[in-house]
Amino acid sequence: MREAIPRRGRWRLPVIGLCALAGTGVSLALPAVLGRVVDALGDRSLLFLAALLIAGGVAVDLLDVYLSAGFLADATASLRRGIVSHLLALPPSGTARFGTGDLVARVSGNAAEAAGAAPQIVGLIASAVPPLGSLVLLALIDVWLAAAFLVGVTAIVLVLRTYTRRTTEAVAGYQRVQGEIAGLLAESLTGARTIAAAGTADRERERVLGPLPELHRHGRLTWRVLSATGAKAAVAGPLALVAVLAVAGWALSRHRITPGELFAAAQYAAQGAGLGGLTGLLGGLARARAATGRVREVLDAPAFEHGDAVLPAAPGRLELRGATVTGVLTDVDLDLPGGSLTAVAGRSGSGKSTLAALCARLRDPDEGAVLLDGVPLPELTEDALRAAIGCAFERPVPVGATVAEAIACGRGIDVTAAARAADVHDWATRLPERYDTPLDEAPRSGGETQRLGLARAWPAGRLLVLDDAMSSVDTVTELRIGRALTRDHGGRTRLVVTHRAQTAARADRVVWLDDGRVRAVAPHAELWAEADYRAVFGS
Amino acid sequence: MRRALLYGLRSLRAGPLARFLLWSAPEALPAAVAGLAIARAVDDGFLAGRPGVGMLWLAALLAASGAGAFGAAQVYRRLGDLTEPFRDGLVRVVVDGALRRATAGLDHEGALARLTHQAEIARDSYAGLLVLVRSFAVTTVGAVLGLASVAAPVLAWVLPPFLLGLAGLLLSLGFAARRQYAYVRGDERLSAVAASTLAAARDLTATGARGWAAERVGEAADAQARAEKALAWVTALRVLCLAIGGAGPLLALLAAGPWLLARGVGTGAIMGGLTYVLMGLRPALGALAQGLGAGGLRFAVTLGRLLDAADAPPADPPQVVAGGGSAVSTRGLTFAYGPHAAPVLRGLDLDLREGERLAVVGPSGIGKSTLAGLVCGLLTPGAGTVTIDGVDAREARGQRVLIPQEAHVFTGTLAENIAYHHPGATAAQLDASIDAVGARDLVERLGGPSAVLSPAELSAGERQLIALARAHLSPAPLAVLDEACCHLDPAAEERAEGAFAERGTLIVIAHRAGSALRADRVLVLDGEEAVLGARDEVIARSPLFRDLLGHWEHDAQIHPAS
Repeated sequence: MREAIPRRGRWRLPVIGLCALAGTGVSLALPAVLGRVVDALGDRSLLFLAALLIAGGVAVDLLDVYLSAGFLADATASLRRGIVSHLLALPPSGTARFGTGDLVARVSGNAAEAAGAAPQIVGLIASAVPPLGSLVLLALIDVWLAAAFLVGVTAIVLVLRTYTRRTTEAVAGYQRVQGEIAGLLAESLTGARTIAAAGTADRERERVLGPLPELHRHGRLTWRVLSATGAKAAVAGPLALVAVLAVAGWALSRHRITPGELFAAAQYAAQGAGLGGLTGLLGGLARARAATGRVREVLDAPAFEHGDAVLPAAPGRLELRGATVTGVLTDVDLDLPGGSLTAVAGRSGSGKSTLAALCARLRDPDEGAVLLDGVPLPELTEDALRAAIGCAFERPVPVGATVAEAIACGRGIDVTAAARAADVHDWATRLPERYDTPLDEAPRSGGETQRLGLARAWPAGRLLVLDDAMSSVDTVTELRIGRALTRDHGGRTRLVVTHRAQTAARADRVVWLDDGRVRAVAPHAELWAEADYRAVFGS
Repeated sequence: MRRALLYGLRSLRAGPLARFLLWSAPEALPAAVAGLAIARAVDDGFLAGRPGVGMLWLAALLAASGAGAFGAAQVYRRLGDLTEPFRDGLVRVVVDGALRRATAGLDHEGALARLTHQAEIARDSYAGLLVLVRSFAVTTVGAVLGLASVAAPVLAWVLPPFLLGLAGLLLSLGFAARRQYAYVRGDERLSAVAASTLAAARDLTATGARGWAAERVGEAADAQARAEKALAWVTALRVLCLAIGGAGPLLALLAAGPWLLARGVGTGAIMGGLTYVLMGLRPALGALAQGLGAGGLRFAVTLGRLLDAADAPPADPPQVVAGGGSAVSTRGLTFAYGPHAAPVLRGLDLDLREGERLAVVGPSGIGKSTLAGLVCGLLTPGAGTVTIDGVDAREARGQRVLIPQEAHVFTGTLAENIAYHHPGATAAQLDASIDAVGARDLVERLGGPSAVLSPAELSAGERQLIALARAHLSPAPLAVLDEACCHLDPAAEERAEGAFAERGTLIVIAHRAGSALRADRVLVLDGEEAVLGARDEVIARSPLFRDLLGHWEHDAQIHPAS
């Protein structure tokens, strides 16, 4: 659970511990002082001491509240930052494996629970001290009191031992089913238009709620575990109290202790019995353990490794050497001169997108290598890599508060120039607040979203990869973007995956993929003679 | 707040609630007996030189505790009977609300956070509230009864500070609720930002913007942390009220000791009084403060937000007319996305015969999808009518099927996905539709119709093929393809469109000129006016269409097709 402790504000943890300790001290001292007060009712100085202790207890409590809240808030925020940073550092396939709904549950719910682990351990230790302190103080009053108390406490500890493990299991099952329901709901929300048209919202609801009975079952299990343990604790607690009282009464009748001491002994015994209150803390800890497991699963996923090389001054030559992705691409050799425009064509499922992903280093080949200006992509620093290569997708997901942010993504680029090149400038200027319109309030079609994604990728320094990035763009618009691509004054290397013949025709050469292999690399006009090639474009 | 409380109260089912309360009664016993037993054991037993009597009183206390413990165990068990159905209901409300809002085209942001995080907060705080309010009542009643039986005058010293603390606690609830509300809002914002960012992980990696994006989520997380810290002041206020209501009676009782002794109240009785305060009233007030101040507010605010966010217009129950043909007719069809917005469609008249194939073309954002939405009854015309075989489009659900660009594929078997619009379809029908739209290779690759799909692992094109097979299998005679093939290659698109043309009336929102050339008639939407006619007629009349075609033919001229 170490990752749940933030670096900033880590000092609070020992102070929280001290507060808890001081609080413990107060609760240990108070019964003794109160016992004295009872024995000498009317003694003002004793009464004053009692009042002071109580006031001190309140002050310590306040400090504890303040620090704990601060710690928990910071720990949660830092854990959330850590999870998100790490998730974004994974290869894209690594993130896709989890599903967005499930990941949000980890960032939102599980992170908060996992962050509670450290204060809960502190709380647990602090709650364990009073029973031990009570034992010592009881022994100081009368050794037999301590013996009686010890018997009671041993019973409680035995009961609690079984609790954490069983609860962790129950809670883990519960959280898993919950993630399932969230995943199903996310699917349905994506398909909202189909569902609306088919009028199947009721059916969808039942489908999403399918795992609900299982959730119900896991939920009940958690209560049953709690009830079984709680019952035993509730019996063991009073038993310790009465045992101590009986011994104390016997000592009182022998005048070995005063009534005040009997009173104090009862309080100490009650505090020992307060160990039963640990059940709640243990429950929280069990939950934190399960949540920490889910957080760790994310943090343990291997991130993309980057090297420390930078690119030499060169035009952006892209080479693939024997690049193989098992089952998708086989032994692809390509050498694309800097500044050239290359189209990638092939039937659906021929490996075009995977090739694009390799060139943009969204994944690494299982075998072989991808080089930009002679440098293997994994050897580049992340900054050098991403500044050199841009990639636009068939289904881009814009991110940002405003339209301008969704294009710039925090980079210092010329937003308007990128938007003009991707032909999304006119759309943006028709919005209520132009480029400052909140992204959520900027209605757009699939084609406009694609153009937004293209504008985002446009500033790439040496290589621009377009993975079917204009499939939803109407042909008139595509023609305009195509011209911008052809006339690219940046002199960048361009790789364009396409289904459209005219796009392929504009390229210097076409890489024709067939079933994961390069079938030919030649200008469109040459390839057009082959019927198989024409079939790729539906002609 | 009120709404949440009412929802919580209504969720309490009478049977389990009665059992829950019944099992609470034994718990009052130790609270009521503790002080009395100790007072009597000391005054009548140990101090009076009769230890046997003292032991008897202690035995009575143990018996009372045993009964209380047994009750407590039962109470927790019954708690599941109350909370799990409550959570089930809540999950239903969230899912139902999100789906209804999504299908009505309304914002449904944060639904996943509500489902996984907030529904859990509501459930846990609901349970906590039930337990704590119940034990406060039980313990207070027990302790007050006990106090009255030990030494009634003590009550006059104990009750005023106790009630003062209690009142302070209740009065601070409003302030506390506002802070809690800010916290919940922060949580939702965080989830929304996290969801949009994580959904774009691939894009952000490719853009080299992951640091920037992580920082955006980080800022939302920090804002949430600030709200959490602001909430800590509420807790501090609660600690103060607790000090007044819990420690106050203690000090008052001790200060009044000499006065009470002078009135014949014994030392044992004062100790009994202290016991009731220390072991009864104080912990009870503390528990209540915890319950109301944290869990209760958390409950009211979280649940209130959950219920508000799940509000959706009542699912419009259109009179669905079964059967019927697929001739489409619009008269003066007008639609705008708001009272002040320029109309997307203006006075459109269109007649489509049974079995006809219509292509709708035009630049993006011009209203093609709007037309699809109107024909499929998803949108209500601002003026004019849309009918399918004479039936209002909104009532003709069984007569048309819409295939939107964003395919709906869900976790389940391929067969379940494909038979979505026709659950009773036979295996042969299923196969026929799979073959017709050209999804056979995909189906085989995925492991046949009984293979379970993981939608996240499918490409956009694969999802579209599945949606196409599904729509093809639908019994509805009219199919509306709204850029439904945009992720397929042209050959696959042509095959799919051909399959739909053979099965009935077809409207294609085209994003490639090829779709338009294959159609019987073409509708060109160009903002101001719509041009409708056979292909050659439209070429003659619509410059925009000539542009689109010219572009296409330009390509064909470079490389004349053989």
